[in-house]
Amino acid sequence: MKDTAKKPSLATMQERDMSKEATHQKAVRILVKVFLYAFLLLMAFIVLFPFYWMINSSLKTLDEYRLSVPTFWPHQVQFSNYAEAFTAANLGRLFINTVIVGVISTILSLIITVLSAFAFARMEFKGKNVLFAALLATMMIPGELFTITNYGTVTQLGWINTYTVLIVPFLVSVFYIYLLRQNFLQIPNELYLAAKVDGTSDIKYLWRVMIPLAMPTLISITILKMMGAWNSYIWPRLVANDEAHRLITNGLRNAFTETTGDVNYPVQMAAVALVSLPLFLVFVFLRKYIMKGVSRSGIKG
Amino acid sequence: MVESKHQWKAWLYLSPCLILLLVFTVWPIINTVRMAFLEDYSGLKAAGGQVFSFGFGNFTKVIQYKKFLSCLKNTVLLCVITVPISTFLALLIAVCLNSIKALQKVLQTIFFLPYVTNSIAIGMVFAAMFNMVGSFYGTENELIVTAGIINNVIEFFGGHAINWINYGSSYAANMTVMVVYIVWNALPFKILVLLGGLQGINRQYYDAARVDGTSRRRIFSRITVPLLSPMLAYVVITGFIGGFKEYTSIVGIFGEGMGPADDAGRLNTMVGFIYDALATNSQGRASAAALILFAIILVVTLINMQVSKKKVHY
Amino acid sequence: MKVELQHVTKVFPSRNKKSEEEVVAVNDFTFTIPDGKLVGLLGPSGCGKSTTLYMICGLQKPSGGKIFFGEDDVTDLPPENRGVGLVFQNYALYPHMTVRQNIMFPLQNLKGTDKLTKEEMLERTLGAAKLVQIDNLLDRKPSELSGGQQQRVAIARALVKMPRVLLLDEPLSNLDARLRLQTREEIKRIQQKTGITTVFVTHDQEEAMSISDMIVVMKLGVIQQIGRPQEVYDDPVNLFVARFLGTPPVNVFTGAIRDGYLYVGEDKLLPVGDLPDTEVYVGIRPEGFIPQADGPLRCHLNNVEVMGRDVSVVSTHPASVNPTVRSIVNADIPVDTSAETIRYAIKPHKLLVFDRETEKRIYLGSEGK
Repeated sequence: MKDTAKKPSLATMQERDMSKEATHQKAVRILVKVFLYAFLLLMAFIVLFPFYWMINSSLKTLDEYRLSVPTFWPHQVQFSNYAEAFTAANLGRLFINTVIVGVISTILSLIITVLSAFAFARMEFKGKNVLFAALLATMMIPGELFTITNYGTVTQLGWINTYTVLIVPFLVSVFYIYLLRQNFLQIPNELYLAAKVDGTSDIKYLWRVMIPLAMPTLISITILKMMGAWNSYIWPRLVANDEAHRLITNGLRNAFTETTGDVNYPVQMAAVALVSLPLFLVFVFLRKYIMKGVSRSGIKG
Repeated sequence: MVESKHQWKAWLYLSPCLILLLVFTVWPIINTVRMAFLEDYSGLKAAGGQVFSFGFGNFTKVIQYKKFLSCLKNTVLLCVITVPISTFLALLIAVCLNSIKALQKVLQTIFFLPYVTNSIAIGMVFAAMFNMVGSFYGTENELIVTAGIINNVIEFFGGHAINWINYGSSYAANMTVMVVYIVWNALPFKILVLLGGLQGINRQYYDAARVDGTSRRRIFSRITVPLLSPMLAYVVITGFIGGFKEYTSIVGIFGEGMGPADDAGRLNTMVGFIYDALATNSQGRASAAALILFAIILVVTLINMQVSKKKVHY
Repeated sequence: MKVELQHVTKVFPSRNKKSEEEVVAVNDFTFTIPDGKLVGLLGPSGCGKSTTLYMICGLQKPSGGKIFFGEDDVTDLPPENRGVGLVFQNYALYPHMTVRQNIMFPLQNLKGTDKLTKEEMLERTLGAAKLVQIDNLLDRKPSELSGGQQQRVAIARALVKMPRVLLLDEPLSNLDARLRLQTREEIKRIQQKTGITTVFVTHDQEEAMSISDMIVVMKLGVIQQIGRPQEVYDDPVNLFVARFLGTPPVNVFTGAIRDGYLYVGEDKLLPVGDLPDTEVYVGIRPEGFIPQADGPLRCHLNNVEVMGRDVSVVSTHPASVNPTVRSIVNADIPVDTSAETIRYAIKPHKLLVFDRETEKRIYLGSEGK
């Protein structure tokens, strides 16, 4: 700190150096920018390519698809692949099944989650903290461990090949309860006490105050739950693989058991596109909630 | 809060949750442990009145079982390869995304897109991209009708077409396809979390470093990575947990055969093994395998946490 | 190192895409900060003081004008080539590094001929730590330090690379009242010891007045006045500066100059010579009142607050712009607290007159500037 004065003597030289360095740095900055965008656009291209290929393939005739030199856009656009896929995979039935299971399980799950989160966030009872810790501990256990016994349980209950078996075992998600409880805890307790003083019932308070305030979390839960129904595969295959109750993912896999070899890819890709479409629409409209919910969960569906 | 005479109300609100948990979570834990320690337990035979003796037989048999070892190998390999690759790529993309302004939102949305897809459905698209259409019976000079877009690209750059997933394909080729697909699938979540972490870092640290003339590389290694380390640890731990439960992405590409046509089951994983055992009513063996899976996940998670405790700077 | 700003302007494009309006954060600043001085940039929020600091630092680029350090034009230089040290408002200490690592960090960036050996680095780190008296805390993490200690670490980190100019952004705003007093003396001490030209930003006039060699008062991107704190306080150029400096604030009245006399409301205060008749604001510093039975200013007495050495007399006056008229008078002068009215004589040099329309200062005859 004492030799701050040593530099000015070289002032002019240094100035010239500095301005040269400044232009040099500017060039480096631009180069870095170019590289950044090139890399990101390349990665984006890779990420998007399968989607493009899906659409491209789904619109081709089988003959065109089989050309040894691939075409990057169909010469002859054949929309009938979609109609064929719809009937071949019986997608209508699968859509209906999935929507029924998704909607009912989302509604019931929301009710259970809200009630439990409310109890954990706002009420006093013996053993609350121990119980909550125990609940959180179950999150560490892989779901496959439960499935083995649950398969036996639902068989004994006679639930095989019903909607019930697709809905009931997954109604409780400890993670959602945790998420919502944290959200409820942020709402000042004074509001609850004030409501008590005014003689507002718990349910009314919950409905009028807590739920509106926790809406973003509830929407996130709803979307994740619906996506769960859409994407679930293992459990439905095990317990409800009949025509009447089969869910969409399962149905898709069942309809096109062959993935390799000489199969009718255009129709298969059309089916895949149809199955993916609702998720895309949900994503387009509710992107904010999905991304918010997902970054906190780390669980798919 | 509210006086304790209303305790019953809390339990009333909790009852649906607790009843369901008892039936579908607590009882399965107990029962799985019980079945795992009953020799050769089978649900079907138990219903027929058979009594099973206590022992470690399920575990020793599972461990010696060749199929199990192959499943374990596949699972571990996929985990060990895909988690570092996807984490590194995600970090790179997140850092790049964080340092641009134009197009940031658009690119962010594109990179998140694979998340909202069905891993079976898009697996089928990947299969189509890697698939070769032709006759595959292990003979020379087979007729190839369509090599698949990936092979077309390889040939365009002067390489030779590879049999990725069809009849007669190699294990290494199969695994490569799986790694590509799993990484593609794992990126969105990791990018989302890491980008969130990056955006949470106070800009002033970067301004302070700039005033001090810190180079880009040093800013990255000395400031960005340490401040991001909690998020990195989170992404790696959840990546491993998810990786050990890998199953549906393989079904997506190879179908339920879990391997190319000439070697079904070659790519089966731990979870696949458990379901196969369940399907043949060998609940004892399935339970033992599930407990082993749980133990592996627990150990890996604990190791990860230990490592991150030393490396994570908070 | 002398720092010179020449016609420096900073325009921010509007955030709102719909309106084309730009925000002029800093409008045509020209001033020189003499070598080795401690200078305070002072003003209410949104006056452009932080923007000015960041432009001197190099984190923001001026839209127009030039900045010189000594004879060097640094306008286009990135911050790392300017030789500046910056202390952030909330310190920006790296949370994952110890105090030692934090202070040493800038030294490890040096390249080429400036590169230091490990020993030199440790030595300079210790030197800087000793200067700010935190050499006993070197192995702690920032989260284990109090606000005042973090502040010192931040100053040490800024000083360790021997900057030509030290910049502090609201250095005291994150500290509690007691620490604030202590720290501002500390800043003064360090600045005097090192002799580095230091610029700091603050919205607290007391803070700026107490330690600065020079203050720059600004408002909405425009410089109002530059000078030594006492000068600016005694001799503000406009009503804004007069009101902004001083606690308790200046008492402002509506008044007029009529027939050579200055009136406050109906009270004929004093003769002002041959100034033309006009409507004015009259500012009287709290210490400018002398209770006097035949004083010209007649106020309605509310109450008297005893503060020890002084008493603060709170009263009202029909022409007062402030809700109450607050004067500070020596406790030795008796004030009849039961009286309805109190009359004051005014010390002429504590009396400030401003044009009602332009709010610019009107100098009375005797001051004649």
